[in-house]
Amino acid sequence: MNKKEIFTGIAVITFICGLSGYLLAQVYKTTKPKIEAIKRIEEEKLNKEIFPEAVKFEEKEINGIKYLSVLNSNNEEIGKIFEVKTLGYGGYIYLKVGIDKENKIKKVKIKEHNETPGLGAKITQDSFLNQFIGKTKENIYLKKDKSNGRIDAITGATVSSRAIVDGIRKLLEDIGEKIN
Amino acid sequence: MKKLIDFKVFLKGIWKENPILFIMLGLCPVLAVSSSVKDALGMGIAVIFVLTGSNFVISSIKKIVPSYVRIPVYIVVIATFVTITDYTLAAFSPQIHRNLGVYLPLIVVNCIILGRAEGFASKNNILNSILDGLGMGIGFSLIIFVIASIREIIGNGTFLSRSILGVSYNPFLIMIMPPGAFLVIGLLIALKQRIEKGGKEKC
Repeated sequence: MNKKEIFTGIAVITFICGLSGYLLAQVYKTTKPKIEAIKRIEEEKLNKEIFPEAVKFEEKEINGIKYLSVLNSNNEEIGKIFEVKTLGYGGYIYLKVGIDKENKIKKVKIKEHNETPGLGAKITQDSFLNQFIGKTKENIYLKKDKSNGRIDAITGATVSSRAIVDGIRKLLEDIGEKIN
Repeated sequence: MKKLIDFKVFLKGIWKENPILFIMLGLCPVLAVSSSVKDALGMGIAVIFVLTGSNFVISSIKKIVPSYVRIPVYIVVIATFVTITDYTLAAFSPQIHRNLGVYLPLIVVNCIILGRAEGFASKNNILNSILDGLGMGIGFSLIIFVIASIREIIGNGTFLSRSILGVSYNPFLIMIMPPGAFLVIGLLIALKQRIEKGGKEKC
């Protein structure tokens, strides 16, 4: 390889990388506000699904646990929404857990996950998530793991199901220790 | 010298040299995404776009790229297209974007795209390269759609998330797990061979 060839090689690759960098910067700039708006709307929609009667959400923190304080039209707190991060089969699963005034589970929603499509991805279905409503931490085990467990795992997705069960139970334990 | 526009180039990707059934490149996303029809369609569209775009660009710049830097250049071009698709889908079709999840960025390393860049676009004119990209992309989408239909119906009893086999159907679970994809791909390859050879050859 002579000097000229080396030089053209460097020039071409620098040019191509520069051009692609410029293009990507432009695309990023135009799509970023839209992507963020979509994320905000989705997050709000999720919060509203957990507490349909909510009017306002305020970020708060007690003893290192962050949560959203849910307020109704009279500005009274009707519950809290916690975010739980738990390790599933395909990476972390992000949950939103709504807790009512009696410290019972109001509703659980999946915010983000990377579980296997068709198997673990079924964790987002209500038939699985509604099992958690009203349960206490003693019952939040998979039925097949513990005799007092009250949660049915999803067929073929035990790891994903167990991750969620463990994550929610840990949250309830933390709340019990640090908030009440 | 080859013709300026050769429609055989387009057709061969769909059947004769189908990327999944003949070239057998890019099987990883096929295994991963073909467990539901909706995801498979999204993946197919993304692959058609990226493959056609990267074939077009690589064919246009083939004369100025010295051969010893061609692979990094191809990768940069492909990655650029994939990232553009990624952002655009996230902004305009968040539902499909969420379903494709990690597989969308993984198109960068889908060997069918680099395979066509190296094997076709770097040796042929621009129009034929676009046709090749379209043909290969459509061939990929059709087959992934067929695989996903079979897997979703047998393995989950649904088609496009709508139940078609009724609640009493007990799903054949292995079909939506990775081994199911291997089974279906193997059977489809066998079927293709059978159709092409007309059953004349004995096994």
